[in-house]
Amino acid sequence: MTSRNNGISIKTHLLSKTFGPVHAVRNVDLEVASGSRFGFLGPNGAGKTTTVRMLSGLMKPTSGTAEVLGMDILSQASDVRKSTGLLPESPGLYSKLSATEFLEFIGTLNSLKGEVLHKRIDRLLSLLGLEGRQDDLLETYSSGMKQKVLVASALLHEPRVVFLDEPTSRLDPSAGALVKDLIHALAEEMETTFFICTHQTSFAEDVCDIVGIINDGALVVVGSPAEIVTSTGVDDLEDAYLQIIGGKIDRTSLLSWR
Amino acid sequence: MLGGEVMTGSWYHIAKAEFYVMTSGFRKHRAIGTVLLYTLATVWASYLAPMIIVGILEIIMPMDVMRTLLMVMFPGLMRTVILFLWALLLLYPLSYSLQEIKIGQWEIYLSNDVKTKDILAGTFLGKMPLYGLIVILVAPVLISPFMAAFEVPLLGQMLVYASLAFMVISTLWLANFLTSIIQARLGDSSRGNDIAKALSFVIALVVIIPMYGLMFFMPQLSELLGMDAFLIMPFTWPADLVSWIAITFNGIGLTGGQIIGFASILKFDIIQSAILTVTFGFLWVPIAIAAADRIFTIGAGARTESVTTVGRDNIILRGIRRVAKGPFGALTIVSLKDFGRKAQNLSKIFYGVVLAIILPIIIRQMSIIEGEIFVVDEILPMISIMIGIVGVFPFAGTGFLESKDQLWIIRSAPKGASRFMRARLATGFLMAVPLSGAPTIAMIIMFALPPLLAAQIFISAYIVVCGAVMIAMGATAQNPDYEDTKSPAHQTVLMTSMLLTEFTLLGPLFLDLFLTLGLGIDVLAVIESVLHVDGLWFMITIVGPSTLLFVGLAMMTLGIRSLGKVEV
Amino acid sequence: MTLARNGVSIRTERLNKAFGPVQAIRNLDLEVLSGNRFGFLGPNGAGKTTTVRILSGLLRQTSGYAEVCGIDVSRDRDSIKAITGLLPETPGLYSKLSAVEFLEFIGALNGQSDEKLHRRIDSLLGVLGLEGRQDDLLESYSSGMKQKVLVASTLLHNPKLVFLDEPTSRLDPSASAVVKDLILVLSEETDTTFFICTHMTGFAEDVCDVIGILNQGGVVARGSPQEIVDSAGAGDLEDAYLRIVGGKVDREALLAWR
Repeated sequence: MTSRNNGISIKTHLLSKTFGPVHAVRNVDLEVASGSRFGFLGPNGAGKTTTVRMLSGLMKPTSGTAEVLGMDILSQASDVRKSTGLLPESPGLYSKLSATEFLEFIGTLNSLKGEVLHKRIDRLLSLLGLEGRQDDLLETYSSGMKQKVLVASALLHEPRVVFLDEPTSRLDPSAGALVKDLIHALAEEMETTFFICTHQTSFAEDVCDIVGIINDGALVVVGSPAEIVTSTGVDDLEDAYLQIIGGKIDRTSLLSWR
Repeated sequence: MLGGEVMTGSWYHIAKAEFYVMTSGFRKHRAIGTVLLYTLATVWASYLAPMIIVGILEIIMPMDVMRTLLMVMFPGLMRTVILFLWALLLLYPLSYSLQEIKIGQWEIYLSNDVKTKDILAGTFLGKMPLYGLIVILVAPVLISPFMAAFEVPLLGQMLVYASLAFMVISTLWLANFLTSIIQARLGDSSRGNDIAKALSFVIALVVIIPMYGLMFFMPQLSELLGMDAFLIMPFTWPADLVSWIAITFNGIGLTGGQIIGFASILKFDIIQSAILTVTFGFLWVPIAIAAADRIFTIGAGARTESVTTVGRDNIILRGIRRVAKGPFGALTIVSLKDFGRKAQNLSKIFYGVVLAIILPIIIRQMSIIEGEIFVVDEILPMISIMIGIVGVFPFAGTGFLESKDQLWIIRSAPKGASRFMRARLATGFLMAVPLSGAPTIAMIIMFALPPLLAAQIFISAYIVVCGAVMIAMGATAQNPDYEDTKSPAHQTVLMTSMLLTEFTLLGPLFLDLFLTLGLGIDVLAVIESVLHVDGLWFMITIVGPSTLLFVGLAMMTLGIRSLGKVEV
Repeated sequence: MTLARNGVSIRTERLNKAFGPVQAIRNLDLEVLSGNRFGFLGPNGAGKTTTVRILSGLLRQTSGYAEVCGIDVSRDRDSIKAITGLLPETPGLYSKLSAVEFLEFIGALNGQSDEKLHRRIDSLLGVLGLEGRQDDLLESYSSGMKQKVLVASTLLHNPKLVFLDEPTSRLDPSASAVVKDLILVLSEETDTTFFICTHMTGFAEDVCDVIGILNQGGVVARGSPQEIVDSAGAGDLEDAYLRIVGGKVDREALLAWR
């Protein structure tokens, strides 16, 4: 499989999606190398989630093409789904299952079974600090704990490409650091490709080797965090983002409402 | 029945997960619990239920008398029984699952490369254990009188239950298919959830109206249309199949003439009924599998749906703003807007109005059937008692607070809870106008009521509705369910409000009963002699509603206190 | 209103809160000066939200003393509520109201309904970039937009002390920059005190002048961001947090689950 895509994990050409009159994604051209960690930034509603859904084979594009691991997302949607993992934005967790039961469910759907699966679930849960709570129903978990279970479910079957939609928004700094390290380790040792939607520019700066900023459905900038920061002539990625998307408001108008 | 090509196993894992969800209440002892439940259910179905039901029936009337009665009514009754089961199986899962949309789960299935027909099969099989159990518990109660009356031997009974099982399975499949379609169309958004909740009430109405119809208009309907009208209904075919099996295997020696008599009523013979039942059952399997790919697609998110922009306040709201200036008026207006824009509230109001209009129709119908002369004055007490339910329903449980965080926001304003509740109450009192007005208008049209009586009915209905609204709101505030219709809080609130309202309305009567029986004081007679009015009328239309207002005020006060309390 | 007696806005002494067997806060001693922007950091479930609820008069402590703007929290809760604003952790909005109507609702709950309120609503929504969408029902808002409306609702009645529980976890970088600036401007120009629970160390570093780190129910570190970073001998606040609370996992463990 690797030979067919020449080290490129994700490749899109003029990828577009419209919902009625709304252009959610317009003409996105993108290339992500295997083992790289792509950070996808942009305002709420800019088209990040829609792009992820198309690339993971859940949604058909209106026009344009995309390949994931050399497979076409339209004609080989089923193969794409098999070899990718997804952490969705709004989690559809079963609240009445325990963490172990939920991960068993996800594992068996991906044809993992028996000893291998159980060992993996136990270790992942203890790595994420959920040991001791693994047999409690998910409805009793805090939002951060649920997020950890979802991270585990996205990585469980060792997918070659992992889509993470806001992976750390509900995690405390320790858990966030753990997820960061986990991503680094998997990308470097296993050549797993990560496609990460996030609002946290510092997270993207720490974790991602390439960042794309999307606004109003169109990809505005792609480059390494350092390149983007230098080209906009600012100090960090947050300022660069504000420069590109806009959003600075002057002090007088901040107080004018009072 | 699912065909060979779905043996990939994904459907099995989904069904297993659904089964785990269902049995999470006793997850420590899942296997034993399930076996135990089914064993108990089987004992109930094969031994206890027939014994108890037949026993009860024999107390009411001897088997010989009942047999003749049952034989006369048999085909029609069987259709009613099966309609009940069919509606239960088709609409209950539908309205139950509409209360919680599961698009997020579909996203997980699909991203793990589960085929759509596996999702359909898995969710269907996942429902089987629960609904199977319900049917095992309910069916014998409905069926055993007939089995006893016709003395159907074991083989016949087994055939009857096999036909029922087939009907149950095929109906569940259809219900599961329809549920998935509706969920996919609505999508996972607050708007979708609201519409779904609204639909689930409309669906309940769809069940209730034909049930009322069958119960009260059977004679007229049969005269008008004959039994033929039922022949196009899918539930008729399995019903007739069961009837035929019972007739064919009867152990009481039906004569050829009697069987021909049945045939003339049932129209289709046993073979035709069987073919129709089986065809209808299997018809939906290929249709659903073929449509699966179209159903399970992830659509646009909540944000990309159409956006509703609010316009200028309408004339009623502007009127309120003019009358009630200041924060109270503003809160009431916002509360009204919030209430009126939720489809589920509107559908509950509609539901209440329909129930309230059906009421006088039934009252009239009953007195016509029983050959009594209809006395308009008698409506008033009846309306008082029945309209309590109508007032409780839209305000108990849902449509109150959307989340616990909403409560924190309200509580973080000084005296926020009591300000909020007073505005809600004003909303409730305004909504009580259509709720009590609708049945009044219906009755004015139907019975040509004199204006004075009409005004009397409207006022007493309005008082009862207001009392019921206060009880419902008070109970809800003491135990909010945050829009989760499956929570114990929701069930408790609904039951408490209903029972409290009805017992308060009827309470004086019970009190009278106790006093009469226990102490020999006939309160009704005392009232009649002192006030020179009809005692029963006075109790139900004056004493009951006034007590209701007091109880409502008390519940409301408790509700405000509980909503505004500092948590421990 | 002579609040902030001695310039102290929040003071707690040996504050305890137990939920059944679980000790959520243990002997918490805290002091926040008026005009401070206090950042409250700590793991999921450390007791941050519980502290906020006690201080804003929504929850009764098990033992200990707490005062807010000189008012005992177990005595006059309504006065505390009148001068504080609270932003809860997850948006608890009315889905069927528009932003303007929701803010009218909040204003009326706080006893305001006049022309001045409407003017404030309009300009506050303008500052937060919601003009043009202000009459749309909240159900169509993205989570970031909802969060902005909630921020507006907390500031609407001109509170002296504002509790913010995870104010930016759902906001895109532009929106959180606006919120950041709004906090800075308000605290400098109007002496408003901010008590901010957050997981985002970067946000805390940018906005807060005092940081408290809560772990297992008690404050384990307190000081300006710089002081905390220096005393922990770390590079930045995230690093300092990880050293104080713990959470570094070595790479071998990160991949051992596979």
